[in-house]
Amino acid sequence: QDTSTISGTVTDQATGETLPGVNILVKGTAIGASTNLNGEYELDVPSLNDTLVVSYVGYTRSEIPINGRTSLDIELQPQAIEGDEVFVTGYTSQRQADITGAVSEVSVEDMNRTTSASFLDKMKGRIAGVNVESSGSPGSANTVRIRGVSSFQNNDPLYIIDGTPIQGDYNNFLNPNDIESMQVLKDASAASIYGSRANNGVVIITTKKGSAGAPEVSFDANWGVATPVSGYSDILMQDPFNYHEIIKRSHDNAGLSTPTNIYGDPENPSIPNYIWPNDGTNQTMDLQAQFGITEEDYEICNCDRLIMPASQGTDWWDELFDPALTQSYNLNISGGNEGAVYNLSFNYYDQEGTMRYNFYKKGTIRVNTEFEAGIFTFGENASFTVDQQSGGMQSGAMGEDTPIGQLIKMQPIIPVHDIGGYYAGAKANTLGNGSNPVAQVWKNRHDVTETNAFVGNAFATASIMENLEFKSNFGFNIGRNRFEGMALPTPENSEPNSVTSLNENFGVYTNWNWSNTLNYAKTFNQNHNLDVLAGTEANRENNRSIGASMAGYSSTSLNTRYIRDALGDPGTKAVNSFGGYSTLLSFFGKADYNYAEKYYLSATLRHDGSSRLGANNRWGTFPAFSVGWRVSEESFMDGLSGLSDLKIRFGYGVTGNQQIPTGRTVDEFGGAVGETFYDITGSNTGVEQGFRKTAIGNDDLKWEENVSYNLGIDSEFLDGRMSLVVDLYHREVDDLLFNPSIPATQGNAAPPFVNVGKMQNEGIDVSLGYRGTIGSELSWNVDINGSHYKNEIIRIDGQQDFFYGPAQGRGSQMVINQLGSPIGAFYGYKADGLFMNQDEVDAHADQDGAAPGRLRFADVNGDGQITPEDKKVIGSYHPDFTGGLNLGMQWKNFDFNTFLFASIGNDIFDITDEFTVFRLFNTNVRQDRLTKSAIVENGEVINPDAKYPRLDQNDQFSSEYSSFYVKDGSYLRMQNLEIGYNAPAGMIPGLSRVRFYVQAQNLFTITGYDNLDPAMPAQPVGDGVDASDQARGINQGTYPNNRIFGFGINASF
Amino acid sequence: FLSSPAQGTLSSDVLANEDGVDGNLIAAYSMLDGYGNYGGWGTAASNWTFGSVSSDNAYKGSEPGDQQPIADVEFYNWGTSGVDTYVNDKWSSTYDGINRANATLELLASVDEVTGEDRASIEGEAKFLRAHYHFEAWKMWKNIPYYTEEAEDFRKPNTGNNPIQSILADLNDAIELLPTSQSEAGRVTQWTAKAYKGRVEAYTGDWESALSTLREVEQSGPYALRDNFHQVFSASGGNGSETILAYQASVNDGEPGGANGNYPDRLNFPHSGSPFGCCGFHQPSQNLVNAFKVDGGTGLPLPITDPNNWNSDDDNFAAGDMTPVDPRLDWTVGRDGVPFLDWGEHAPGWIRDRGYSGPYSAKKTVWEQGTDAGSSVGWSSFQLHFQNLHLYRYADALLLLAEAEVEVGSLENARTIVNRIRERAGQAAQGPGTSLDNIEVPIDDPAITWANYQVGTYDTPWTSASEAREAVRVERRLELAMEGHRYFDLRRWGIAQETLNNYLDVEETRREYLTGSDGYQERNNLYPIPSVQRELSEVDGESTLEQNPGW
Repeated sequence: QDTSTISGTVTDQATGETLPGVNILVKGTAIGASTNLNGEYELDVPSLNDTLVVSYVGYTRSEIPINGRTSLDIELQPQAIEGDEVFVTGYTSQRQADITGAVSEVSVEDMNRTTSASFLDKMKGRIAGVNVESSGSPGSANTVRIRGVSSFQNNDPLYIIDGTPIQGDYNNFLNPNDIESMQVLKDASAASIYGSRANNGVVIITTKKGSAGAPEVSFDANWGVATPVSGYSDILMQDPFNYHEIIKRSHDNAGLSTPTNIYGDPENPSIPNYIWPNDGTNQTMDLQAQFGITEEDYEICNCDRLIMPASQGTDWWDELFDPALTQSYNLNISGGNEGAVYNLSFNYYDQEGTMRYNFYKKGTIRVNTEFEAGIFTFGENASFTVDQQSGGMQSGAMGEDTPIGQLIKMQPIIPVHDIGGYYAGAKANTLGNGSNPVAQVWKNRHDVTETNAFVGNAFATASIMENLEFKSNFGFNIGRNRFEGMALPTPENSEPNSVTSLNENFGVYTNWNWSNTLNYAKTFNQNHNLDVLAGTEANRENNRSIGASMAGYSSTSLNTRYIRDALGDPGTKAVNSFGGYSTLLSFFGKADYNYAEKYYLSATLRHDGSSRLGANNRWGTFPAFSVGWRVSEESFMDGLSGLSDLKIRFGYGVTGNQQIPTGRTVDEFGGAVGETFYDITGSNTGVEQGFRKTAIGNDDLKWEENVSYNLGIDSEFLDGRMSLVVDLYHREVDDLLFNPSIPATQGNAAPPFVNVGKMQNEGIDVSLGYRGTIGSELSWNVDINGSHYKNEIIRIDGQQDFFYGPAQGRGSQMVINQLGSPIGAFYGYKADGLFMNQDEVDAHADQDGAAPGRLRFADVNGDGQITPEDKKVIGSYHPDFTGGLNLGMQWKNFDFNTFLFASIGNDIFDITDEFTVFRLFNTNVRQDRLTKSAIVENGEVINPDAKYPRLDQNDQFSSEYSSFYVKDGSYLRMQNLEIGYNAPAGMIPGLSRVRFYVQAQNLFTITGYDNLDPAMPAQPVGDGVDASDQARGINQGTYPNNRIFGFGINASF
Repeated sequence: FLSSPAQGTLSSDVLANEDGVDGNLIAAYSMLDGYGNYGGWGTAASNWTFGSVSSDNAYKGSEPGDQQPIADVEFYNWGTSGVDTYVNDKWSSTYDGINRANATLELLASVDEVTGEDRASIEGEAKFLRAHYHFEAWKMWKNIPYYTEEAEDFRKPNTGNNPIQSILADLNDAIELLPTSQSEAGRVTQWTAKAYKGRVEAYTGDWESALSTLREVEQSGPYALRDNFHQVFSASGGNGSETILAYQASVNDGEPGGANGNYPDRLNFPHSGSPFGCCGFHQPSQNLVNAFKVDGGTGLPLPITDPNNWNSDDDNFAAGDMTPVDPRLDWTVGRDGVPFLDWGEHAPGWIRDRGYSGPYSAKKTVWEQGTDAGSSVGWSSFQLHFQNLHLYRYADALLLLAEAEVEVGSLENARTIVNRIRERAGQAAQGPGTSLDNIEVPIDDPAITWANYQVGTYDTPWTSASEAREAVRVERRLELAMEGHRYFDLRRWGIAQETLNNYLDVEETRREYLTGSDGYQERNNLYPIPSVQRELSEVDGESTLEQNPGW
C-alpha cells in the first residue's frame, strides 16, 4: 500500500503560538506522530483521504479531513474553561453558553486522577458548592451535599445516569472510566425539571458513546500502595508503664488505692511475664512455679486458661493497619459505522483496605449502542456490575463496636496473642472491656457483602418533523445483594460471646422509570430561538429482602455457613422478610427562549404525584423560571477588550423532596417476638402473639418544598484564558419532613412523620480559572473554586422550637435541631475551663461533682444550678468555607497536575474523648494525658494552662457532653499530585498513544485537629430512613483516608 | 398507580376482633419485665438500679467506668445526664406498658364479638396492668400523670391529680371484673388485683385499708409460701403458690437475641472467670452480708440482737467462716468457696474487679445449670434464661401485712407472720450442688462444710411497736434483699436519708470508691422527671411536667 507524507505546523488559534508535543493520529489507526519543539509534524498516512485526530491537553480535540493535502497547518482552539460545550440538563441538552441556571461541569479527566471505586469520591472538592466526604474504607459510601443541607431526611442528590434516576449515595456500580460527562444542576431553576426529587440537586451523568470508525481500543491500568493518612501510634499511649502512671494518678488523686493485680506495687510497678486472666490477684512471673505448667503445656484454646504474655507495649494501630495494594484495569473498545455505533468497556477494580482483612473488588461490563434507521434512533446503555466487599468500616460506620472503636479501648499491656498463639484480649480484671481488634477483623474475614447491579436504559427517538423530536426512554436499576457473616465466640474478651451464629441476608430491588418527551426546537427570524419540551414520566421502586439467623454452629468452616437445621441449633432459627414499594407519576414541560443569544428566558413546570405522601397532598407543582442577559453581546461592551464574555443570570424555582419511608400515611400495627410477644402460658420456651401500634401515620403528609433564588455571573476575560463564575443563592425549604420524638406517654409507636418546619441555606459559589503559557514550551492552567453556605433552621412547628438529632454516644443527646441554629448542631454544656481552686467552686453555680481540676460548666440560664437546662448549641459541622485548587502544567511531553482541598471552620464533636481522655471503661488514653492534665496541689491547680482535667478516678462529671469535646476540624489537604509522560506517537509499536504517570494521593494534610482524619463521611443513622445530616461531624473512631502512591498507564491501540 | 400501602404491617381493622384484642393485651403483659427496645438497663422491672443499687443492699458492681449512670445513681448524683437517660428509659417503658393496656381497652370497646367472662377478664387484666405500671411510675416519681384509654392529650400535667386514687380505682374495677383463677399461668386474677391493692395501700401508709385487704388475701386467697426459699428463685420452679405477679420468661422461642428471657437483668451475673462470662453488676454490699448474720444462741438476726455491732465485720465473708448465718445469705449472695447453685464453687476469678466493689455476686436471678433454662442465643447466652422474675410474691405481701399489723397495734399477728417467714427460711440451705438434686439440702446437712446456718423464730411476744417494727423491717430486708424493693421501703419508712448516710459512712471505709458519693439528700426521696420528657411535654413554652423538688 502506498503511503503519503503529510506535514505542517500546529498553532494556538488565539495567540498564534506554535504548540509542541501535540498528538496527531490517523483516525481509526495506530499511526501517529507528535509535533516537535517548533510545533511541526510530519506523518506518513495510508491515504490522503484519511482524517487526522489532533489532541492536546487544554485544547479542543479536533478531527480534520486531509482532503488530499500534503501540507496541512492546524490551528487548535484553546479549550475554553467556559465554552460552547453541550450540557445535558435533564431530558434534553443545551449549549453551556445558553444556560441560565446554576450548572457546573465536572472535569472527568481531572476527576479520574483520583484512585477510588466511586466516582463520587473522585468529585471531592472539584466543584464549587458540592461537598463530598469519604472514609478510607474501600468501596464505602460517600456523602455528597450540594449547596448545604436541605432536609432532616435524606440529602443525597438525585443522580441521572443516561436518563435513569438513582437516588442514593452508594453508586459504586458505575465504572468511573465510563463517564463521558458529568454536570451538576445546583439550583432549582435548573433542577426543577426533576421536580419532586431535586431538592438536593441533580447530578447528570452521560456515559461514553461510540463514534463511527474502526475499533478504537484503549487500555488503562493503575497500581498503587495505600497507607492511612494518619494513625493512632503517635496519639494513644504505647508504654504500659506510662499507662500505669495514668491509673496510679487517677487513683491517688481520688484518694483510692491503685489496683495491684497487673502491675504489682504501684510505687514500683512491673510488667508480669504472664497475665493469668481469671484470677484478678495472681499475675505471675513464673508459670511453672505458680501453676505447674509451661508454655508448652498450653496447646488448645481453653477459655479458662487463656494465659497472655504481658506486652511491653502493643502498638495496636500497627497491628491493625498495613500498607495495601490497589489495582485497576480498564479496557474500552468503541467504533461502528454511520448509523450504528458501539462502546464496550470492561473494568476490574481491586482495592485492599489498609485495615487488615479488608477488601473491595468490583467488575463491570458496559455495552452502549446506538442505531439509526430513517427518522428513528434506537439505543441502549447498560452496565452490569458485581462487587464484593469484606471487612473495614462500611458506609462511614463508626462507634465502639468497630475495629477502630475497639482499638481505642485496648491497653498497651495486652498482647495480640496468648502463649498458645490464640488471640489474647482484655480478659483479666482492670484491663477494660475492649475486644481485640485484630481478632475481630480476623474472625470476620470471610464475611462478604456481594452486590450485583444491572443499570441502564433503552431509548428510541423519532424525528417527526424537522424541528420536532419524540423520545421514549425506559430506565432500569435492578440489583440484588447478599451478605452472610458468622459471629464467632470471643473467649478472650472481658465480656465474652460464647455462641457461634450466622446471619444471612438477601435482597432484591427492581426500580424502573419510563419517560416520554416531545421536543420542538426552532429559530425564527434568525434571532428568535425557541426550544420547547413536554413530557411524562412514571417511576416505580420495589424492594424485598429476607434476613435469617441461626446460632449454635458446631463447625465454622466456609462450607457449613448455611442456615440448615443440622448445622447448628435449629431452635434458634429466625427469619424475617421486609419490603418497600413506591411510585411517582409526573408531567412536565420546559420552554427556553433567547433572542440573538443575548436575552434569555426559560420556564419549567413539573407536576408530580407521590405514593409516599398523604392522599390529600399527594400532588405537587414545581414551577421555575430563569432569565439571562449576555451583556457582552451588547454593542456598548465592544470597547472592553479584556472582557470576552459576560452573562448575568437569575433563576427562581421550586423543587420538592419526598424521601421518607414508604407507607407512612396510615397507622401501622405489628409486633415482634422479642418485643410484644409474651409467654402468657408460662411454658418457658414459647410465646403467644402480641400486637401493638408500631407506627403512627399521617394522612396529611405533603412535599418538602424548596424555593430557591440564584443570581449568577459567567464571565471570560483575555480571550477566554481566564474565566470567573460567581453564583449567589438563597433557598428556603418549607414543610420539612421529619418524625420528631413524641412524649413517651403516647407509647413507643414510631412517631408520625410530620411537616415540621423550615430551613434556609444561603451561600456563594465562586470558580476562577486561568490558563497561560510560559515561553513556548510550558503551558499551565489553574482552577480555583470556593464556596460558603450558611444553614439555619428558621421555623419549627409544634410545641417546641427544637428537637434532638439521633444521638449515638454513651451519654445523652449531643445533637440538636433548634430554631436559629443549623441542622445537626452540637449540643451540650459550655465548658468554661477548669475550677482552679475551692473558691472558684464555691463562687460558681451549684454543679454536681465540682472540684478543683475538674471541668466547669457555664450556668447558661443563670438559675444558680448546673442542670441539663444549661445545655446549648456548642458547635456545628458545617464549614464556613470549602475550596479546591487544581494546578496543571504541560511541558514538552510531560504533564503535571496537583489538587488541593481545604475545609475551614467545621467543628468535630470528638466522642472518642470519652475513652481517650476520660478513660471510661479503663480504655487506652492519649499520650499527652500524662503531661497535660491539671495538677492540683494544696487545693490549687498549679498548671492553669492544662489541656485536660485532673486525672481523677472519681471524676465522672467532667466527661458530660460539653464544648470540651468540640474541636476545630479545619484542614488543608493535597489530594492529588500526578506527573505524566506522553510517549511520542509511534515510540512504542502498535500503540497510538501511551501515557505513563506516577501519582500521589492525600500526600499531606495541614490541620490543627489532634485526632485521626478530619475528613469524615456521614454515618448512617435513623430508623429506616437516612437522617445522617443530623449526626455529622461526630468522630467515634473513623477509618482514615488513604495516602496512595501509584503509577499507571493509559494506552490506545 | 400512586397507591402503595405499607408493606409487611397490619392495619387496625385486621385486629378488630377477639384475637386482636387479646394480642394487644399480650403486648401489654410483655412489658412486665420493662424491656421494650429501650436502650438502657434502667428499664429493668426488677429495679436493680433504682431500688437496689440506690440502697444499702448493693453496689453498682462491675468495674469503674462501666455504666457510669448507675454509679451516679449509687452516688445520689441524680442530676447528671446519664441518670437522666436512665430515668427516661424507665419512664418510657413504664408509659409504654400503660399505653399498651390502654390500646387494649380502646380496641375492646370497638369489638362487640368479645362478650361475657372473656370481655370482663380482658378489661380487668388491662386495668390491672395499667394500675401496676402507674404504680411503678409513682414509686419512682410520685408526681405522675395518669392515662386512661380516653386520653387524647399526651401532655397531661403531673401535678394536681391523685394517681393513687386512680390506681386504686383501676384495681377495684379489676377485682370486680377478674375471675378468681385463670387457665393460663401468666394472667392475673381477682386475687392478684386484691393483693396488689393491699400493696398500694401499704405503700401509701393507709394501714387500716391495707390490713383489711391483705388479711382477706391471707385468709381467703390461693397463696402460700413455697416449701423452701430457693424454690421461688429456681428456674424449675416456674410459678407456684407464692407467685402473685411474675414476668413469665421464655428462651429459645425463636427470638434471636433472647429478649424474652431475663433480658434487663442479664448483667447481674458473675464475670469472666465464671461459667456465665459476664458482667458482674449488682454486687451485694458488705453491709447486706453482715445483716444475714444471726445470733448463735437464738438464731435471730444480729441486727436485732446486737444492733450496735452487727455491721462491724469488714472482711471478705468467704467459705469456712463459721459465724452463724441465715441460710438465705447463700441463696442471695455468691461468696468465694461456697457452692453457687450447681455451677461449682464461687471463686475469686468470678469477680470482675474486687478491689473496686468487693468479692460478692448477686445470686437470686441466676438459673441452675441442671434446669437447662439457659438460652442458646444472644451475646453471652449463659446470662439469659427462663427463670421467671417475681414482681410480687406472697412473702412480700405477708410482710406488708405484718407492717400493717404492727401499725394498728396487733403485734402478735405480726410476730406470727415473721415467724412463718423465718421458719420457711430454715427449710433448706445451699447444698453441694454437684447436681440439681443436691442444690437444696437441710440446713444442718453434713455435706455443708462452708457455713454454719441457723435461723430462729421470735419466741417471746414483742412488747413495743418499735421493737416489732424493727423486727419486721429487718425481716423484710433479709427476705427481699436484691429484689429491688429496699430503696422504696426505706423511703416510705421515712428513714432513707439517715440509714443510707450511715451506711455510706461505714461502707466507704470498705469500698473506697464510695468516698466519691455526695451522700443522700432530701431531694433523693424522688427521682428526677426525665428532662427529655419535660421538653417533649411543653405547651406554650412551659412543660406540663413539673420537675420534682430539688432537681
